Amino acid sequence: MRTLALFALVAALILGTGFLQSWNSALIILNMGLVSAIMALGVNLQWGLAGLFNVGVMGFVALGGLAVVLTAVAPVPEAWAAGGWRVLGGLAFALAAIVAAVFAWKRLPRKTRGWAVAAIAVGGFFIYRAILDPAVSAIESVDPAATGFLGGLGLPVLLAWPVGGLLAAGVAWVIGKTALGLRSDYLAIATLGIAEIIIALLKNEDWLTRGVKNVIGLPRPVPYEIDLQNDAGFVETAASIGLDPTTASTIYVKLGYSMLFAVVLVIVLVLAQLALNSPWGRMMRAVRDNEEAAEAMGKDVTARHLQIFILGSALCGIAGAMMTTLDGQLTPSSYQPLRYTFLIWVMVIVGGSGNNLGAVLGGFLIWFLWVQVEPMGQWLMGVITAGMADGSALKAHLLGSVQHMRLLTMGVILLLVLRFAPRGLLPER
Amino acid sequence: MSGGPYDDRGNQDATITNPRGMGEDDPVHAGGHEHPAPGGPFLIGEAMTGGYGRGADILHSCTIAVDRGEIAVIVGPNGAGKSTAMKAVFGMLNLRKGMVRLDGEDITELTPQARVQKGMGFVPQTHNIFTSMTVEENLEMGAFIRRDDISGTLEQVYELFPILKDKRKQAAGELSGGQRQQVAVGRALMTKPKVLMLDEPTAGVSPIVMDELFDRIIEVARTGLPVLMVEQNARQALAIADKGYVLVQGRNAHTGTGKALLADDEVRRSFLGG
Amino acid sequence: MDFLNALVALANFVFIPAIAYGSQLALGALGVTLIYGILRFSNFAHGDTMAIGTMFTILVTWGLQAVGVSFGPLPTALLAIPFGIVLTSLLVLGTDRLVYRFYREQKAKPVILVIVSMGVMFIYNGLTRLIIGPGDQNFADGERFLISARDFKAMTGLDEGLALKSTQAITVVVAILVVALLFWFLNHTRTGKSMRAYSDNEDLALLSGINPERVVMVTWIIVAALAVVAGTLYGLDKSFKPFTYFQILLPIFASAIVGGLGSPLGAIAGGFIIAFSEVGITYAWKKVLTYLLPESLEPSGLVQLLSTDYKFAVSFVILIIVLLFRPTGLFKGKSV
Repeated sequence: MRTLALFALVAALILGTGFLQSWNSALIILNMGLVSAIMALGVNLQWGLAGLFNVGVMGFVALGGLAVVLTAVAPVPEAWAAGGWRVLGGLAFALAAIVAAVFAWKRLPRKTRGWAVAAIAVGGFFIYRAILDPAVSAIESVDPAATGFLGGLGLPVLLAWPVGGLLAAGVAWVIGKTALGLRSDYLAIATLGIAEIIIALLKNEDWLTRGVKNVIGLPRPVPYEIDLQNDAGFVETAASIGLDPTTASTIYVKLGYSMLFAVVLVIVLVLAQLALNSPWGRMMRAVRDNEEAAEAMGKDVTARHLQIFILGSALCGIAGAMMTTLDGQLTPSSYQPLRYTFLIWVMVIVGGSGNNLGAVLGGFLIWFLWVQVEPMGQWLMGVITAGMADGSALKAHLLGSVQHMRLLTMGVILLLVLRFAPRGLLPER
Repeated sequence: MSGGPYDDRGNQDATITNPRGMGEDDPVHAGGHEHPAPGGPFLIGEAMTGGYGRGADILHSCTIAVDRGEIAVIVGPNGAGKSTAMKAVFGMLNLRKGMVRLDGEDITELTPQARVQKGMGFVPQTHNIFTSMTVEENLEMGAFIRRDDISGTLEQVYELFPILKDKRKQAAGELSGGQRQQVAVGRALMTKPKVLMLDEPTAGVSPIVMDELFDRIIEVARTGLPVLMVEQNARQALAIADKGYVLVQGRNAHTGTGKALLADDEVRRSFLGG
Repeated sequence: MDFLNALVALANFVFIPAIAYGSQLALGALGVTLIYGILRFSNFAHGDTMAIGTMFTILVTWGLQAVGVSFGPLPTALLAIPFGIVLTSLLVLGTDRLVYRFYREQKAKPVILVIVSMGVMFIYNGLTRLIIGPGDQNFADGERFLISARDFKAMTGLDEGLALKSTQAITVVVAILVVALLFWFLNHTRTGKSMRAYSDNEDLALLSGINPERVVMVTWIIVAALAVVAGTLYGLDKSFKPFTYFQILLPIFASAIVGGLGSPLGAIAGGFIIAFSEVGITYAWKKVLTYLLPESLEPSGLVQLLSTDYKFAVSFVILIIVLLFRPTGLFKGKSV
């Protein structure tokens, strides 16, 4: 009942945006709301079901974005010719060096292994750079204004979504392997750090992502507005329901995304719900609520945690790929922890930790507020400053700072919910 | 454990949370006042009923008391609520019913630190020293509420436990079990308390050290300081007790002088092993 | 071969910047480690506490400058720091009263406080941007250099200059003073010892008559002071921008953890380890090597191990290595 009412409220908010502002903005909110809901589901899986504290959501989301580039962008043959294979060789060498180091650590006697690993690491790093650096500068000098990177595989962009999930899952496996322990773990700092590293990689490895030059014009799973506007049939249909072709085309495209995203969300949500109520989900909750007892019953807690951490991160990766597809470009400098990590946490806490529907609700609601706080603040500041003299410095300052209201608001919402509805809007069970 | 809305969902991330040394008790909140309540023994926890947090009651109308110049001993099987009763008297958990009176005042609403100000000293059973601090710092912390010169009391404690003087610059966590207990008792004595409460002061120490500790406690009691004590070694403890309480499942099962309890057939049969 | 010039270049580009940066990190990490030791959670809002505290200092500095007060050759901001500390203390104490205290009374698990600190982080971050804006603010005045590169060259006759910015010198001097004061406080005063006792064993501290709320209050004031000093020094040395203060949270956490969370000594050591590795690994060593090696061996590239943007990666990798081999950090994470 409560669930229904709250979802109706969110629907009303979005519809209200459509009626009061424009259907275009309503659909923008809806689309990102769908994506946010999936991210929130991922975090909820980790925090709600296993108490894992992932503060590197941004990194997994960005990996999803990278997946879109690697999967869907057409390859750049000149760049491959200039040094593509050499780069791959360099990466393969780095991987081999890491494996060798791990192997040395495990096999060599205690006395020598530290030095051996250090030698492998340092030597390996210099050789790796020696292999990689010439190739990278060769690739980056191939028509830097347009390409200057290797491109991707040129596959359909929808394929990038699962690839994004896999990429995120792979990285999550590495983090989980090192950071999750039996008695205590250090997942929070590990995820916080890896997220920053992933962003640094995206920003700096121009041969891979064009760095801060951004990859624009990513392929789309839906038609282009301009094609629709040139399509006589579409223009006619639009006219028949009283819309001009431009508006109609943008709405049509956005609706297309909404459909695709909604399908993914529904699939993920159904799977998450089934998992939650399956024996596996019950066991996970048992582990969470009483770890010692679960351990005594022979449950391998660390392995379970690793499993769930990978799953949740994969969801964030999928959502990240969807988001980049929606944007149509990869903008490494746009990834900010407040927006892509901590805001997702606000969604989960506000929605209700441990409740999948709650996470979805939180995703929509918080995203709506994130977008709409600015116009609301604008209005509020307008009222506050109405009495002030035009051109006064304070008035200009207040009006200019409206955009920062949203951070403040998110903090206040999080604290209010934690205080007065600590289980969230839709409590677990 | 999943309990309450502010549970950690089994999180054990050592980089963001530090459960070590965190309070486990549920002390009385600040803001309460004492009320005059004349009569009765020097210290009494009367008809106490309560448990931790929102959990079930552990104590059921349990009464323990000690009067001036006495040693009172609480014995009973494991899980009888002996430690809980001591904590309740000290305000380390919220009572649902009953009251605690000290020297003619109702102190039920006082926080533990306010009870220390009133002259109560308590040595808990476990975690009863500051392991990362030196022996001397432990004793200084015992005297935290005092604003006068503590060097005299410090000397008295060192006289009572000479080994502590030698180790006074050493971290208390590095000491042996018996020495730790001495630090713990010494810490409680530093406030110059008007009543001393000891929760199993001899737990985990060797028999020789145990005898030694008992001697010291009797020595302390002879100075006129009332001692309320929980003890595992019921026979030895009742032998020195002026008053004894046998607790079973949070209730008073038998009460009497130490000698009477030792002589009581039923007490002997069920708790003293014949 | 020119050993002296190499040494000067090394000092100029690596040692001096790393010592200044390390002092700033150490002060930041001390704040994090104190909160971890006494309030038992990692404060995600610490970077933004530094930002908001620095903002207060900047506003007061501007006020002082406007009425014509200056500190001679030293930056006016040093005069404004005490005001910044008072304002920030009031802010964090207010926050504690309104927000954190409730959860202490509820006996909430520390991880809940971490989430709460996220909310506080959002609010402080928003407030800072709302009041002073997200842009860069330069508020350093007074003498810019203690020794300028040109003077140094003239003095010593070396090719390589050594510049010592006054802000760097101030950073180190102030940091040493603050740390000495903090250690004296923790080890030799009654209140300081009661903080260590509370951190060690909360229940026993209660039984000793220590008032937990007072311990928490003093802790917040000290943390506010550390945050303001760290933030102002960082801002003087580089510049003030709210976002960089948010980002500095990672190296600060890394410093505190590498040193051993809860250990003040560890926080300081961690700060310098992180700072030296960051600066050392992202520095282009060409200049130093050119002086040291014979001409035939001179490096052709910059000999920069990683580009500056990877400095977070450096702190992180060190962190992981330390955690893998010494999970409690270098200084055993002894309680405060």
